Amino acid sequence: MDILQVVFSGLLVGMVYALLGLGVVLVFKASEAFNFAVGEFLVVGAFLFFILFFDLRFPLLIALPAGLLAAGCFGALVEKLTIQPLLGRNPISMTIITLGLASLLRASVQLVFGAHSYPFVIDLPDITLELGDMLFLSEQLWASILSGLAFGLVILFLFKTRWGVAIRATSESQAKAMAYGINARVILLVVWALSGICIAIAGIMISNFGSLTYLTAMVGFRAIPVVLVGGMDSIGGALVGGLIVGLCEAFVGAYLEPMGLIGFKNIAPYILLLIVLLVRPYGLFGTIRIERV
Amino acid sequence: MLLRVENLRVVYHDVISVLHGVSLGVDEGELLVIIGANGAGKTTLLRTICGMIDFYDGKVVEGDVKLEGHSIRSLHTTEILKKHRLTFVMEDRPVFWYLTVEENLLAAAHARWDNQVAQDMEEVYGYFPVLKRLREKRAGLASGGEQQMLAIGMSLMTKPRVLLLDEPSLGLAPLVTEELFQIIGRLNREKEVTVVLVEQNANAALGIGDRGYVMETGRVVLEGKASELLENEDVREFYLGSGEKERKSYRDARRYKRRKRWL
Repeated sequence: MDILQVVFSGLLVGMVYALLGLGVVLVFKASEAFNFAVGEFLVVGAFLFFILFFDLRFPLLIALPAGLLAAGCFGALVEKLTIQPLLGRNPISMTIITLGLASLLRASVQLVFGAHSYPFVIDLPDITLELGDMLFLSEQLWASILSGLAFGLVILFLFKTRWGVAIRATSESQAKAMAYGINARVILLVVWALSGICIAIAGIMISNFGSLTYLTAMVGFRAIPVVLVGGMDSIGGALVGGLIVGLCEAFVGAYLEPMGLIGFKNIAPYILLLIVLLVRPYGLFGTIRIERV
Repeated sequence: MLLRVENLRVVYHDVISVLHGVSLGVDEGELLVIIGANGAGKTTLLRTICGMIDFYDGKVVEGDVKLEGHSIRSLHTTEILKKHRLTFVMEDRPVFWYLTVEENLLAAAHARWDNQVAQDMEEVYGYFPVLKRLREKRAGLASGGEQQMLAIGMSLMTKPRVLLLDEPSLGLAPLVTEELFQIIGRLNREKEVTVVLVEQNANAALGIGDRGYVMETGRVVLEGKASELLENEDVREFYLGSGEKERKSYRDARRYKRRKRWL
């Protein structure tokens, strides 16, 4: 098998994982809590888009922004109801809350949409690419392009706008930010909304590979190796972690699975995670603490 | 009186009582110094005034904080900063380590964003020329003195009318402290900022202050003109270490004894 084909396929999927990781890293930096409900955010975001696009039949150019806006509002609402009352308290409590939230949301989605799978095909223009004997499927290319675009926009927002500066300041210390008049409550709402949007884009793109069920949430667990490999508090780390996990999956899928290890692709990222954590406990790109001497 | 603290009682985590009825007043344009030992409640007092006490799980059980006659006790920090232009500079050099010096100043201007920001930043660089050199550097890599100057520069970006400074001299060399206090004095005179300065370095602080309060275990035990406090025998003994009496052992200086004499 052509190794280049494997590499590029891995990178294409990795871009989507990177965006998923970004959603988790943003929240972790600002709230100091790991959002274990990432998979459920993903499913809820995808279903919000599903309703607008497939049920209500809005055109894509309206359905996509509206769906993402709804996903953002959902993220903000979750923050308002569950995280905000704990502002200034132990981040572990918030992390535990996201665990409970995950169960609640999973059950709710199942209750509302049932357990069967919904066909999910967005008819984007066909941009399937054939290069020599390499083949890249249209939906993979679209997923990668849109995820990369979203990732870039979030980076621009964080590093070039005054809101971005305020978000990064609040992420470093809520108390200091409050003392200088940055409204930490509003900033956290914005961060969770942003995170909700990132995860929803990833969710829509992943659903577009096939179908959408409440079990799509399992993909959310892929965010754990992504952010831990890259470093929990590193935005660049989310990008690199996502690409590495994508590559890892592609390689294992192409070279190890044909040897009879069916499904090994799905656990390979976690084995990789273990190895990285043994070597570098803070992840590859975890913040190098500023040490003053 | 611009700022009035009336009989303030503050409790942390519902059980730890820190302030037991503190009352004090700050006049417009003055530089007020509050000195006191560790655990006297100075930081808690400032946190309560600026509305951050909730964040630390503290509660105002009794009393009120009034700015120009309006109660600000139940307002959020952001509202107090925006509407009443009162800014709190926390202790231990409150700068954002992973942001550059310039981004730090921008972050502090976030709440009052307008088209004057660039102009105000130049003014801050005017007061603290050292910051201009460091503008692209991460604040965490600056020295302690530079960080403290940045912190005060950041508070200026919020356009304060009242500035609460919590131990700006913490961990700084005496010469740096002196420079810093000179700038604080200049801000007070030139920009007519009312300053409440909480300090351990009683000598330097009372040197630039107009008036002072001495706090002990959650109470105000002494007040007066800064120059009078500098002459006061008890203050000299316990804060300046140069009392007339012969040096006493630590046991004699235990708090309850001092309080008995002062109250």
